[in-house]
Amino acid sequence: MSARHRTGQAWECSVLIWLLAGPGAYAQAPPEPEGYRLEEYRAPTPLTLKGATVIGTPEAEALWRQGNAVFIDVMPQPQRPANLPAGTLWHAPSRDSIPRAVWLPNVGYGVLTPETEAYFRHGLSVAAQADHSRPLVLFCQRNCWMSWNAAKRALRYGYSVVYWYPEGTDGWKDAGLPVERAERSP
Amino acid sequence: MTVRSRIIVSVWAGLAALLLVPSLSVAQQENTWAEIRSTVIGESVPGDGTGRLTLVAPSRAEDAAIVPIELRVTVPDDDAGRVTKITLVVDENPAPVAAVFQLRDGQKTFDMATRVRIDSYTFVRAVATMDDGRLYMTKTYVKAAGGCSAPAAKDPVEAKARLGEMRFRVFADRGDAQVQVRHPNYSGLQMDQVTRHYTPAWFIDKLDVRQGEKTLFSMEGGISISEDPTFRFTYGSTGEPVTIEARDTEGQVFKKIFPGSGT
Repeated sequence: MSARHRTGQAWECSVLIWLLAGPGAYAQAPPEPEGYRLEEYRAPTPLTLKGATVIGTPEAEALWRQGNAVFIDVMPQPQRPANLPAGTLWHAPSRDSIPRAVWLPNVGYGVLTPETEAYFRHGLSVAAQADHSRPLVLFCQRNCWMSWNAAKRALRYGYSVVYWYPEGTDGWKDAGLPVERAERSP
Repeated sequence: MTVRSRIIVSVWAGLAALLLVPSLSVAQQENTWAEIRSTVIGESVPGDGTGRLTLVAPSRAEDAAIVPIELRVTVPDDDAGRVTKITLVVDENPAPVAAVFQLRDGQKTFDMATRVRIDSYTFVRAVATMDDGRLYMTKTYVKAAGGCSAPAAKDPVEAKARLGEMRFRVFADRGDAQVQVRHPNYSGLQMDQVTRHYTPAWFIDKLDVRQGEKTLFSMEGGISISEDPTFRFTYGSTGEPVTIEARDTEGQVFKKIFPGSGT
């Protein structure tokens, strides 16, 4: 085999490794903090969450197909401030999510208003039918600390089976799995 | 097909799929513009702004609460038209129209730079309106997130103490000037992490900069303009004084007159 071929093979091999590892593997994962993340939510997330099980897309898909776990989407969605000038165009981004997921926006910030805190507790309770042992899968999108914060919070609320799915809808869509337009839970 | 060539094909297919991912997500983001376009610019279809309107923004911003944006108008010599209005849109911000700049008598060449908040990965676009009604659009993609809800850099007490203070600086060698108005420009999406409540929206929604009787530019702004709104723009002094007048959403008016040569 000529040198040219060997070089080509080595190159293909390195591409293959990069593809398998995923481009995200090159961004360094930070260590797990003690408390909630308070800012810069759109950044590489830790590999772990104490008390929760971290899952990838295949595990998430299996749980979704099995149907017992409740999927909780915590993608934020800004709410129109009460005092904007009349005529201000307000267009909160729409959300395509994992089918049957319950969308509870804004519950993944580091600090919640008392109203948002109550909304999250209530939303989880309704979704889990008041069963604290019901498996929960918390997600938003890749490199988003909101799902990490929200999963940590669900553990604090006493839910015992918490899955954190850090790849979220990005990993889900990349795997060719279906999404559908979500409506925020009232 | 040999095993080796199968591997090569699968590697290339994988690579192609990977390269497709970003372009697909970009295509998806354009959906927002399709939804808001007619509200922002009406039914006219804007022409390609290349060569007439340039938008400079970082592809990945260091601080999503102060993303520098520069607009450069360059109407070609063989076009008799002038730009009378520039609309700056951040597609994925919840209030997408960041600012509308009026250039009263129209301009052939004009630069305007400011700083905006960006809430999630988005196209930032500018639409120039010509004096004959033609529209030209240019856009760029910016990766930044959380800018609208990021806590204010200055504490509320300091912000109130300096409220409405203004600066007007002239950079004659560069042919431009800079206006800054001290104002927290609260977006209404920022939480006070101590009180755990949202600070109500409160921002400069109108700004007028005049030299003598002539308006250099005026701006209508929304929640996307960063704290302490700052505008750098093409400026040649006539020697006459420059008046800056700003109004905020609570109806407070701030006005100051500067020498045409700046402070």
